[in-house]
Amino acid sequence: MIQLTRRELLSGTAATTAVLAMGLTPSELRAAAPAAGKQAPGFYRYKVGDFEVTQIADGARTFPMPDTFVVNLKKEDALAAAEAAYMPKGQVTIPFNPMVINTGSKLVVIDTGNGLGAFEQSKGVVGQMNANMTAAGIDPKNVDIVVISHFHGDHMNGLKKADGSLVYPNAEIMVPAAEWAFWADEANASKANGFNKPNFPNVKKAFDGLKVTQFEAGKDVAPGITSISTPGHTPGHVSFAVQSGSGKLLVQSDVTNIPALFLRNPDWHVAFDNDPATAQATRHKFYDMAAAEKAPVAGYHFSFPSVGHVEKDGKGYRLVPVAWQPSI
Amino acid sequence: MMTNISRRTALLGGVAAAALPAFGAAHAAAPPVGKQNAGFYRYKVGDIEVTVVTDGANTFKFADNHVTNKTRDDLNKALEAAHQPKDLMTTPYNPIVVNTSGKLIVIDTGTGEAAYERSKGVTGQFQTNLKAAGIDRNAVDMVIISHFHGDHINGLITPDKKLAYPNAEILVPAGDWKFFMDDGEMSRATSDRMKSVFKGVRDVFDPIGRKVTPYEAGKEIAPGITTVATPGHTPGHTSHIIASGNSKVFVQGDVTHVPWVNARHPDWHVFYDQDGAMAQATRRKVYDMLVAERMMVQGFHYPFPSLAYVDKVGDGYREVMVAWKPTI
Repeated sequence: MIQLTRRELLSGTAATTAVLAMGLTPSELRAAAPAAGKQAPGFYRYKVGDFEVTQIADGARTFPMPDTFVVNLKKEDALAAAEAAYMPKGQVTIPFNPMVINTGSKLVVIDTGNGLGAFEQSKGVVGQMNANMTAAGIDPKNVDIVVISHFHGDHMNGLKKADGSLVYPNAEIMVPAAEWAFWADEANASKANGFNKPNFPNVKKAFDGLKVTQFEAGKDVAPGITSISTPGHTPGHVSFAVQSGSGKLLVQSDVTNIPALFLRNPDWHVAFDNDPATAQATRHKFYDMAAAEKAPVAGYHFSFPSVGHVEKDGKGYRLVPVAWQPSI
Repeated sequence: MMTNISRRTALLGGVAAAALPAFGAAHAAAPPVGKQNAGFYRYKVGDIEVTVVTDGANTFKFADNHVTNKTRDDLNKALEAAHQPKDLMTTPYNPIVVNTSGKLIVIDTGTGEAAYERSKGVTGQFQTNLKAAGIDRNAVDMVIISHFHGDHINGLITPDKKLAYPNAEILVPAGDWKFFMDDGEMSRATSDRMKSVFKGVRDVFDPIGRKVTPYEAGKEIAPGITTVATPGHTPGHTSHIIASGNSKVFVQGDVTHVPWVNARHPDWHVFYDQDGAMAQATRRKVYDMLVAERMMVQGFHYPFPSLAYVDKVGDGYREVMVAWKPTI
């Protein structure tokens, strides 16, 4: 009886009657399918000219919106904007999306996520970069260059494992020179407050014992990957332009935080911007350029797979996420 | 002191090229992986687990009458606005799997494994992605069909015309069953398009002995899955509301074709709509409801993972893709 398929049971045979007489409905003969309960690995691949780009999800944090999340706006207005963007009521979600670019000559990681320490602390909610990189078939040992856009923990804490050893043991680590100068300056550390204060010791910890190469904004960090000075979020914050053949991609890093709020409203100041007025001016310049060029933009805090086109819309901009390509 | 953002620096002028030799001798990076991520995505609707499983996407040069009441120029303008290439239509296919009360239910089946072979994996990916999602086709209890077009029913059978889900009951919309299986209706079909739909329906259902269970609109046909009549695209076209707890998603089938054409322009008649005027009326009714209820829509022809909210914009609608959750 158990071997009977549901099809036969439902086809009105004598078996059905027999089963029903036993007090079972046909569907009860099959074991319940367990819920899978696990998300797909978070990586997405596309080509920029001859380059292969892999967006890697590091996870996302959801938390009650802090009172000063948007420092120059009433909280109720920020909450209304978040709700209009279909975020859970009263909350804000910030995703983290580092990326890997294979230029053919170099395997380059741009930003490293929250790190394996955070993976443990958060029980896998963030710090997923390594797991997702592995799922994407990329071995951290093969990475030639790791570029850090700026010195906030969600971008650089993935340089080291929880025990302090190197995640990318064979990679040159490249950092913006202006960023290094700011965060290494004890005078800046001594007068830091707010969000910056705990970040000084965190920078120290993240880079302690590491050999880094400083680069000037505007220079290439790898063939086909050019850094762009985009200060404000931090003093030495950089973005990148990737070009191969006719393919182009802009990597904004943190020119905006989540697009639903800060790309739509480029004059809103997220609490994490070190120099809000400069960050705002940078945002307008960067996105006027991106909109004019019609180049796709990868955004660290865009929703995975975190790449889209940007268009001007009133006083702000709108992100049009790329349509997922099921094959590359 | 910093390089300012300009289109030239961002998108690689001569300066960048001159910097290239600094990277030294050519070194081959790790080889590109060359393969897209498996296309599945999981989310919860209350206690119900939904897995979106992509079947791939087909890109083709569209005909002048692709939108029967608009010109090629109109369509190209809509594509440009969506950052899509000119004269090319990309159509994604995204069936789903629902685990409700321990029952595994597939809603629509994609273009089928024979299409996978023919297209060299561009479409017909449903089975490979289903496997990647950890779902055994033999464990599927029920297959629900929204309507009788090939991209929704062809995956019911294997290339050797056997049941693709050997243990599943097949539920089909009674309206489409009645219309398309009627030899009189078939004999009255005049267009090549309609003739091929009639033939396609028989090519799928005849080899499996026409063993299906027709279902009516307005019924709960599985725990938490209610059918909704959404005619026009086909006479018996049916959508499905999945509901559990406070959560709901509208599985629209083909109420719209790709959103950048047909949600933005609900009054455009894509030639697949059998009754353009009725499809248009259905579209407006459904989308006004989605907007009013702030209900998520799962769109078969939306880009993967094809889950969105809908905003009313001008005379049409704009999809707001649901933020990818890196953990469920």
